[in-house]
Amino acid sequence: MSDIKATDLRDVQDAIQAAVAAKTRLEVRASGTKRHLGVAAAYDHVLDVSAMSGIIDYQPEELVMTLRAGTPMDQVEKALADARQMLAFEPPSMTKILGEATAGVRGSIGGIIATNLSGPRRLTAGAARDFLLGFEAISGRGEQFKSGGKVMKNVTGYDLSKLMCGSYGTLAVMDEITLKTIPAPETSRSLLVGADSFSEAVKLIATIFATPHEPGSAAILPQPIAAGEQADTGNAFTIVIRLEGIEPSVNDRSQHLQSGFGGESLDDMASQALWLRIRDVQPLAERPQDIWKVSCAPSDAPRLIDSLDLRQEMRFFADWAGGLIWMSSAAPDLGAQLRSAVARLNSGFAMLVRDVGATKQKVAPLQPLTGGMFELHKRVKASFDPLGVLNYGRMHEGV
Amino acid sequence: MLMPDPDQNVINRRDEICAELRKLVPAECVIDSKESMKAFDADGLSAYRQLPLAVVLPETVNQIAAVMKWCHQQGVKIVPRGAGTSLSGGALPLADAVLLGLGKFNRILEVDYDNRCVVAQPGVTNLAITHAVQADGFYYAPDPSSQIACSVGGNVAENSGGVHCLKYGLTTNNLLGIEIVTMEGEILRLGGKHLDAGDYDLLGIMTGSEGLLGVVSEVTLRILQKPATARALLVGFDDTGAAGRAVGDVIAAGIIPAGMEMMDGLAINAAEDFANAGYPREAAALLIIELDGPEVEVDALIDRVEAIVGKAGATSVRISQSEEERNLFWAGRKSAFPAVGRISPDYLCMDGTIPRRKLPDMMRRMASLSQQYGLRVANVFHAGDGNLHPLILFDANQPGELERAEEFGADILRSCVEMGGVLTGEHGVGVEKRDLMTIQFTEDDLKQQQRLKCAFDPGHLLNPGKVFPHLHRCAELGRLHVHKGKMPHPDLPRF
Ligand SMILES: Cc1cc2nc3c(=O)[nH]c(=O)nc-3n(C[C@H](O)[C@H](O)[C@H](O)COP(=O)(O)OP(=O)(O)OC[C@H]3O[C@@H](n4cnc5c(N)ncnc54)[C@H](O)[C@@H]3O)c2cc1C
Repeated sequence: MSDIKATDLRDVQDAIQAAVAAKTRLEVRASGTKRHLGVAAAYDHVLDVSAMSGIIDYQPEELVMTLRAGTPMDQVEKALADARQMLAFEPPSMTKILGEATAGVRGSIGGIIATNLSGPRRLTAGAARDFLLGFEAISGRGEQFKSGGKVMKNVTGYDLSKLMCGSYGTLAVMDEITLKTIPAPETSRSLLVGADSFSEAVKLIATIFATPHEPGSAAILPQPIAAGEQADTGNAFTIVIRLEGIEPSVNDRSQHLQSGFGGESLDDMASQALWLRIRDVQPLAERPQDIWKVSCAPSDAPRLIDSLDLRQEMRFFADWAGGLIWMSSAAPDLGAQLRSAVARLNSGFAMLVRDVGATKQKVAPLQPLTGGMFELHKRVKASFDPLGVLNYGRMHEGV
Repeated sequence: MLMPDPDQNVINRRDEICAELRKLVPAECVIDSKESMKAFDADGLSAYRQLPLAVVLPETVNQIAAVMKWCHQQGVKIVPRGAGTSLSGGALPLADAVLLGLGKFNRILEVDYDNRCVVAQPGVTNLAITHAVQADGFYYAPDPSSQIACSVGGNVAENSGGVHCLKYGLTTNNLLGIEIVTMEGEILRLGGKHLDAGDYDLLGIMTGSEGLLGVVSEVTLRILQKPATARALLVGFDDTGAAGRAVGDVIAAGIIPAGMEMMDGLAINAAEDFANAGYPREAAALLIIELDGPEVEVDALIDRVEAIVGKAGATSVRISQSEEERNLFWAGRKSAFPAVGRISPDYLCMDGTIPRRKLPDMMRRMASLSQQYGLRVANVFHAGDGNLHPLILFDANQPGELERAEEFGADILRSCVEMGGVLTGEHGVGVEKRDLMTIQFTEDDLKQQQRLKCAFDPGHLLNPGKVFPHLHRCAELGRLHVHKGKMPHPDLPRF
């Protein structure tokens, strides 16, 4: 297998057109930090897009940044921090649990977009898909196209930006992208509130979100994990509520919540450090075990956890008010159990994020699609990439 | 406006088609008399009217599916319709198409405070969502000015916004899930009460697809806790450029107001005549800046914003001291359309977006176009996110004025694209901006969008003639042009 290194869309187009002509399959890769997400499919060549990097235009007062998809996240975050702004969806770093492809590399913005990865603020601020305003790309047909724009409000034509987010590079290879940025909060603080059970914790969070005190993020840490994170309330579970904003507002809201719900508070520094570890799934990183991610309605989370026979042997914690559960276990059949547990819910999704053995050979890493949804996915794929030239099979068979 | 040639065979089969449809839905749900169909012959873009082949108002999802499946098999086109308030002609009927009205889908199915969402049928009005949850302190954030009338299904189809979307997002950012019926009559669920999944974001694609990809038969909307308080500033400037810069300064200071609206001199005076809101008539531009959140936060930010606009050259500043006064500030802005309707027999409402820093250039361009076309223009503007709503005043009874107003409007939208912006910020393309799409997009851009349409509706039966200026057959679009002679990496192994 040989690499093709692209420096611009022209190179990408040449490589894709050649692959179309020769019916070869390409693996699209930037920094490679997330290449273990999804199905481990086989490819003829790597199309390396990491050189398509750099910030093209950043206008903080317009709240937009135009940059190339291969730009390293470190560089993006540095530019944002200099203007006291951020990406509201809080893109995580997966290197703690997936390992680094190259030493010191944190991944590219394109990789974040392609996998639609979002952090704790996703609960109230939205996901990566809510912040991609437009892009230019080469489709799997080898044709250049663009969608969206460089302005914040736009409904001209289909919103293909949404489709690009979380498509794992199976539809098109992006170069220039435009993101919506927002001002970073001046300060933050977290409250630690105890709960005796997971279901009590989920209910308590719902009560907190029914107040006008604008909680921004809400995680649930079982006692052993809370202890490891210096966030132990002494209860079986600790709820972490993050408040962000200007100082008087954060102070006022945390006083209100503390008088209503008790608990201790973490100052800005401690709060930031804890949420960084939650964002990057660090509480589960150390043990060499498979890691699964489940997304469900928050109120379904306790039922889901209770239905697993494995709950004794696994470690887990929840984010997004209970709607995101990270779990790790050495038991080989966690995946099978999760899939059937999720199937019993009205809506939800389970994904294998870290595979330390050969779990992927037995269970599909992404929740399998069935029936009309599967057919529609294949048709959508074919509308961009009829021959399956780009990251074929990376998400689902035939997609 | 040229619509696709109606299929005479289908029109000839009208009686038979209506009879078949009456087997699929209760007989009274099929409307085919000319008089009764008149109520459906246009949407909010009322310059364009057309009677449909027939109107069908199904009552259940299975009926929608049955109608669509039958139409698909018979090659009969469908135009979906919510409340018919679209300003771009998206719900304009076609002579050879069944108009599928969602008006009977008017029930809220579930209010779920544990997961902070509401499940509703698509014909429920936008405001009814807020009404259903406001007693418990919640609301639905996207608030188009048409919210008492427009349907949430139509909001999804148009990805509608409102004055608060700067801080709270458009429909797409507040939508958790939908159920859709495809043209083939299949019922699919996209998204749900969970936040993320591992499939293509078809929910995101459906949002803003203007009824071309599927019929939305149920929605799950995110609701938010109402902010503790809200206050507004009313700021006058003697120069629109200074007002535009002030908007940028507020955001550069790290403040995202709940709403930030601008009006120009003509709009200020029309609104003041209409609503007596106490607007500064002599001002060239007026900003309404609303802050919401905890009281201490709002008070602190009001002070900061007051200082910023003062520095930016504000000529007058008023700060709302009560809910009543805040509502009064908004009353003028919210009645801007009817107010302009009083000073002119007719007006066209345009809807482009520009990068905010181009505002002074845009105002100059509009002034010169106004002279060139001999028509007045009043401007209301979602200033925070760069979304312009120029209102072009004309008199349809004067021969040629409508055409001139449309040309003027097209020139404004061309200028938006030239300045780095887009044709439509929230009203959609529909038929109104269909033929301007080539200004913003290349042929390849549009073909890729149409290929996606083919994945959902290979027969082009769902709402054809909208959004895309040229209809290409799906087989033609799918053809792959292989660049055989061109092998840029001849050294690479191939199979
Ligand atoms: C006075 C006035 C003020 C307005 N203010 C705003 C504003 O502030 N912000 C804004 O964004 N818009 C505004 N609009 C535009 C309009 O109200 C919105 O676009 C609204 O979302 C349309 O909803 P509707 O139910 O009336 O849809 P319709 O007009 O019936 O249909 C609109 C489009 O959606 C499709 N459609 C409708 N229902 C469905 C469904 N269930 N499934 C699939 N497709 C469907 C139709 O085919 C059509 O293409 C305004 C309109 C008016 C008249």
